[in-house]
Amino acid sequence: MKPFSYVRPADTRAAIAAAGESGACFLAGGTTLIDLMRLEVMSPTALVDLGPLPLTAIERHGDGLRIGAMARNSDVATHALVVERYPLLAQAILAGASQQVRNMATVGGNLLQRTRCPYFRDLAVPCNKRAPGTGCAALEGYTRSHAILGTSASCIATHPSDMSVALAALDAIVHTRNGGRERAIPIGELHTLPGERPEVENVLEQGELITQIELPASPFAAHARYVKVRDRAAFAFALASAAVGLDVADGRIRAARIALGGVATKPWRSLEAEQALVGQAPSRASFERAAAAAIVDPKPRPGNAFKVDLVKRTIVRALELAWGMS
Amino acid sequence: MASCLPVVISRFVDMSSMETPIAVGMVAPSFVLHGDARRPLSSSEARGRPWVLAFVRRWTPGSDAGAIRAQLRGLGAILVIASDAGVWSFRPDDEVELSAGTSPRLRRELDDLGARCGVDPGEDGVFVVDEDGIVRFAQAPSGELTSALAGALEAAGRELLGLPPRSGITRRDWAVMSLVAGFGLVLFQGCRGRGPERPAPVVAKAGTEVDVVLRINGQDRRLRVDARVSLLDALREQLSLTGTRKGCDHGQCGACTVLRDGQAVNACLTLAVAAEGAEITTIEGLARGDQLHPVQAAFIAHDAFQCGYCTSGQILSAVALLRDGRAKTDDEVRQQMSGNLCRCGAYPNIIAAIQAARREV
Repeated sequence: MKPFSYVRPADTRAAIAAAGESGACFLAGGTTLIDLMRLEVMSPTALVDLGPLPLTAIERHGDGLRIGAMARNSDVATHALVVERYPLLAQAILAGASQQVRNMATVGGNLLQRTRCPYFRDLAVPCNKRAPGTGCAALEGYTRSHAILGTSASCIATHPSDMSVALAALDAIVHTRNGGRERAIPIGELHTLPGERPEVENVLEQGELITQIELPASPFAAHARYVKVRDRAAFAFALASAAVGLDVADGRIRAARIALGGVATKPWRSLEAEQALVGQAPSRASFERAAAAAIVDPKPRPGNAFKVDLVKRTIVRALELAWGMS
Repeated sequence: MASCLPVVISRFVDMSSMETPIAVGMVAPSFVLHGDARRPLSSSEARGRPWVLAFVRRWTPGSDAGAIRAQLRGLGAILVIASDAGVWSFRPDDEVELSAGTSPRLRRELDDLGARCGVDPGEDGVFVVDEDGIVRFAQAPSGELTSALAGALEAAGRELLGLPPRSGITRRDWAVMSLVAGFGLVLFQGCRGRGPERPAPVVAKAGTEVDVVLRINGQDRRLRVDARVSLLDALREQLSLTGTRKGCDHGQCGACTVLRDGQAVNACLTLAVAAEGAEITTIEGLARGDQLHPVQAAFIAHDAFQCGYCTSGQILSAVALLRDGRAKTDDEVRQQMSGNLCRCGAYPNIIAAIQAARREV
């Protein structure tokens, strides 16, 4: 690990000021950052420790909910209001990582989780995300964990967070602060596609701090499900996952939410699949049509072509479970 | 510690002129607190309902608000928490109401109420009042929130959670006990992450060492570390607490699991300097003298290890799992223990040990 300055700020304002200089990085739960620093994949010149800051509250906000950016994943997943109103979020968080990591990882940090692409983590091979311009070793490599949606010729790495997939389905709003400036970023606009600059992963500026995640009122609590398909039953990243919600009235789907993980370069909301469900009766047939609509122009590699079918089946399964079909 | 014998007298009286601090069996003091909430917070709201008044200086509302409300809802009770940051009232059927603690008037009112309760500014204290307005539980320790208070609350919680209502305990006793236990939840969760002291701001230039005080197994340990040093390496290399094992050093194997404020975490992914202010428990801190922790004893009784390398981490995860109490079935235990790998494959015996220890803990 390379040397870095360590700053434990007195308050949020001091934290933002300290993180303003190039090379500085916020330290939240540390489960990704410390790991990548030890590998020297990331080598920030300064760490600004957010640990003691009072950004952990989970509170009602109108008919919705506001979750402090430093709320621990395990605390969010077991919070009574989350379990009752946003079961999708609780399920997605509990599907990810281990109890130890969930106890450390924060909501804000998990949104910015770095990819698990093995070539990104290996200093010996080219990687445009880690070392811009060096090339992408994954393109001709072992691609079982890689993306089929949102990829570019520069990068096919997946966004690994389960929690973020649920937040994408729930229309979360990410509140940030930088100096005196505050922003409310819809989650769909937080993450960027790799394009020609895979080293840029989101729209946040240097020193911009995520303070809260807001969840608007959700009509999907009664029919929501996160399904994650992975190589082992626990503590593994998704090969494909689907976060779905159905709002059904008089036998017809009034609104639907479908977001995908494990198959895309960012938490992947599919408006096409949602549209395909609106007005339909919930059924295996309508779910299959939605799943087909979700996968538009996939770009599989030989090693992950199985994901095109796998993710569709994952969507159908999640919709069936959400609707209570066995 | 004050005894908890019920003595029924009458209802609220204004005690502002009385000298004696309140105690069990006395009538609870009345109060009105003016924060910036829509209406002032008044003890008259609690007439006919049990309530809890808590002075917890370092408490902030965290993820526990929903759980607290759930605890209070069944009892129709009110919880008032006064901390350095403000006053919170939890009504069972209502929003959490917050009053900022910055107004001098509110500060004065709080100090005054504290004085009537025998709680000086800067101290913590807890009072449970029954539906007749009689104090049924009083704890006003001096100084910091003491382990005596934490112990009392934990014991009350254990009694509540472990036993069904016995004949001979009235509904009112039951409510009081529930409130004590429910408040235990507030203390342990609301103060979590804040630790024994809020760590002071630090700026350490790259390449320089930092003086830190780590609270390990109930003792303050002073050491000087490079900011890059993990909690795991600090424990093993500087404090000679080698029971915590280094496996993968990347948060994937769980051999380095320790408890941070009661929760299992990976010491390899925790910077030592960032652990300041937290209560750390390692495998060395579980036994009481020669008496093993029930989970340690169960691991021996059930042959829950072979080479032993992962065992410290397994045991600490198991202690946290049983304390948390959510994982009950074998499948749930497997899922929650999935961050602890055992290359000898002792998993069936580990599950058996955990399930056996559940009855002892």
